[in-house]
Amino acid sequence: MRVLVTGGSGLVGRAIERVVKEGEGREGEEWIFLSSKDANLMSAEETRSVFQKHRPTHVIHLAAMVGGLFRNMRQNLDFWRNNVFINDNVLQTAHEFGVVKVVSCLSTCIFPDKTTYPIDETMIHNGPPHESNFGYAYAKRMIDVHNRACCQQYGRRYTAVIPTNVFGPHDNFNIEDGHVLPGLIHKTYMAKKEGKALQVWGSGRPLRQFIYSLDLARLFLWVLRDYDEVEPIILSVGEEDELSIKDAVNAVVEGMEFKGDVIYDTSKADGQFKKTASNAKLRKYLPDFKFTPFKAAMKETCDWFEANYDIARK
Amino acid sequence: MATRRCVLKCGSKANFFHLPKEEHLKTKWLQFTIPQKYSPSLVLCSRHFEDDCFLNAIKLGFASRLILKEGSVPSVFASASSSVSQPMDGPMRVLVTGGSGLVGRAIERVVKEGERREGEEWIFLSSKDANLVSAEETRSVFQKHRPTHVIHLAAMVGGLYRNMRQNLDFWRDNVHINDNVLYMSQEFGVVKVVSCLSTCVFPDKTTYPIDETMMHNGAPHESNYGYAYAKRMIDVHNRACFQQYGLRYTAVIPTNIFGPHDNYNIEDCHVMPGLVHKTYLAKKEGKPLEVWGSGRALRQFIYSVDLARLFVWVLREYDEVEPIIASVGEEDELTIKDAVDAVVEGFGFKGEVIYDTSKSDGQIKKTASNAKLRKYLPDFKFTPFKAAVKETCDWLTANYDIIRK
Repeated sequence: MRVLVTGGSGLVGRAIERVVKEGEGREGEEWIFLSSKDANLMSAEETRSVFQKHRPTHVIHLAAMVGGLFRNMRQNLDFWRNNVFINDNVLQTAHEFGVVKVVSCLSTCIFPDKTTYPIDETMIHNGPPHESNFGYAYAKRMIDVHNRACCQQYGRRYTAVIPTNVFGPHDNFNIEDGHVLPGLIHKTYMAKKEGKALQVWGSGRPLRQFIYSLDLARLFLWVLRDYDEVEPIILSVGEEDELSIKDAVNAVVEGMEFKGDVIYDTSKADGQFKKTASNAKLRKYLPDFKFTPFKAAMKETCDWFEANYDIARK
Repeated sequence: MATRRCVLKCGSKANFFHLPKEEHLKTKWLQFTIPQKYSPSLVLCSRHFEDDCFLNAIKLGFASRLILKEGSVPSVFASASSSVSQPMDGPMRVLVTGGSGLVGRAIERVVKEGERREGEEWIFLSSKDANLVSAEETRSVFQKHRPTHVIHLAAMVGGLYRNMRQNLDFWRDNVHINDNVLYMSQEFGVVKVVSCLSTCVFPDKTTYPIDETMMHNGAPHESNYGYAYAKRMIDVHNRACFQQYGLRYTAVIPTNIFGPHDNYNIEDCHVMPGLVHKTYLAKKEGKPLEVWGSGRALRQFIYSVDLARLFVWVLREYDEVEPIIASVGEEDELTIKDAVDAVVEGFGFKGEVIYDTSKSDGQIKKTASNAKLRKYLPDFKFTPFKAAVKETCDWLTANYDIIRK
């Protein structure tokens, strides 16, 4: 296998790089991790060049234009177009170069806004996504449309995974733009450094399923090697391991050894109370897969952040 | 003094506001202006503030100087009250993509027969003029013609069997065509684009009648999902383009169109052109007319010439970004048998008509609501069905050699 990983310098890409290095890579395999410096995947020509250069047999496609809530709300057209170009370029070029399998990355945030819970893999297209990031959401959904059409027309078995809330080293820790856990870690770091209280937005009661980037990386490798369906697969801890934001805050506080006050600013929105995803399909295939215990994963992430504060994306 | 411009490139000519001095407030303004380049003297125009941010209660469009309340924060990205596009020099120059097709030819005819206004220029493109799947060729054609308006009809279309076999091509080629046309329109300052959707892209599992709000409420039918999603994404593009740039590009959703210049290939084509062609051949060869199905299925038909008139109205007057269904009302739904009878009459066909009930009827009903159209145009008169069918049959007879079949 010669595996090309797009978006290789991001949260998930770095985790895959690490698990491959630490034992998951096999004899004779070659793993190439691309970043935006290597190619602008919005350009068909640059995408083609990178495929010509590396001639992969497999692709893990993580590259995307991503952003926080505010940037999404303002630039839905750019998020739609740029991601459609990136995805079409990677998927079409992979097909033209005879790539055996592509595993792309979706997200539970692209599911229908109005839906029943828990959500599962069959429900992605059952209604419009949330207004705030519909450009990004539709572009991601169309990866699944492309995969199905490519299988139907050419028999290719390109597929995708759907993680819930990912966290780990090498994340985007920007407080404005980042997701909930990296935001909390950065804020706790600052509160500790400045001797101030940690201010958490919301009541702390909403529930989320978190997945450690290293666990996700191991599952990506399993999907690449052994998951044969075209329909995507949700990668997440089970419903029974849903945690409240308060649980997450406590784990970060413990991980950073923060001794100050924690204040919940209940004037700020909580967001959705619950967005439970079912991992029944994953459990059907891998009943014994062990996720890293949350507190340990959080400690590793906090330690990484403190040790690498200067180079962390923020 | 140099002409000031709103940092969000609005085209406003008055009522600009400088960054506040207070740091916290300034930060909020700057967040709003991302990703525009920072300058200490940047200004925002009044369009980006809610009405209650102003001390003077009435917001007048032109000369009045508005006074912004202290502590105001901009929150409106694109003006909802007027189109954020370049002012037009002179009359419309309309580019019609897919100009040689069923709808394109009908628009060409109504424009020629009275819909064109003084000084207007109408350009009808076909695939011979440009391959719109290519961004470069699309750009060239926009550079050549510099339209102010676009009616976008071009698409990769096909019958049931081709769709089922080539969903990837139908998805990709149509996404490329649509993105190229919509994006070049934006780049070239086109004031308005009217694209063409279809009731066939609506959710497979749905309640009836269908209306404009329901298009994205579930997955389309399995047989042509590639085509269906590509068409739906025109609406996504339009909404995103409005939200980010204030452009009011929109789309029309016809039901079953028929008329001259259709695709009459019996394998590939739609129900009306298929009936017309089969009846012509049955008459010519002295054979019975074989109709597939029981004839009981119900459909709403719209004559291409009526649709063309509605397209011109949408281009000129319809201001919403949300698409509009163009169809006769539910009360004018007809059975396939009604359609067969009209075609038989149109040709003066005297032979036998056989309904092959072993063949599928398809959906019994797929009623679309034209309530929105009727709200805007309560008096619009559709051409009576039989007359429209007769015109179509006469056209086919006179042009049989050149028809697409």
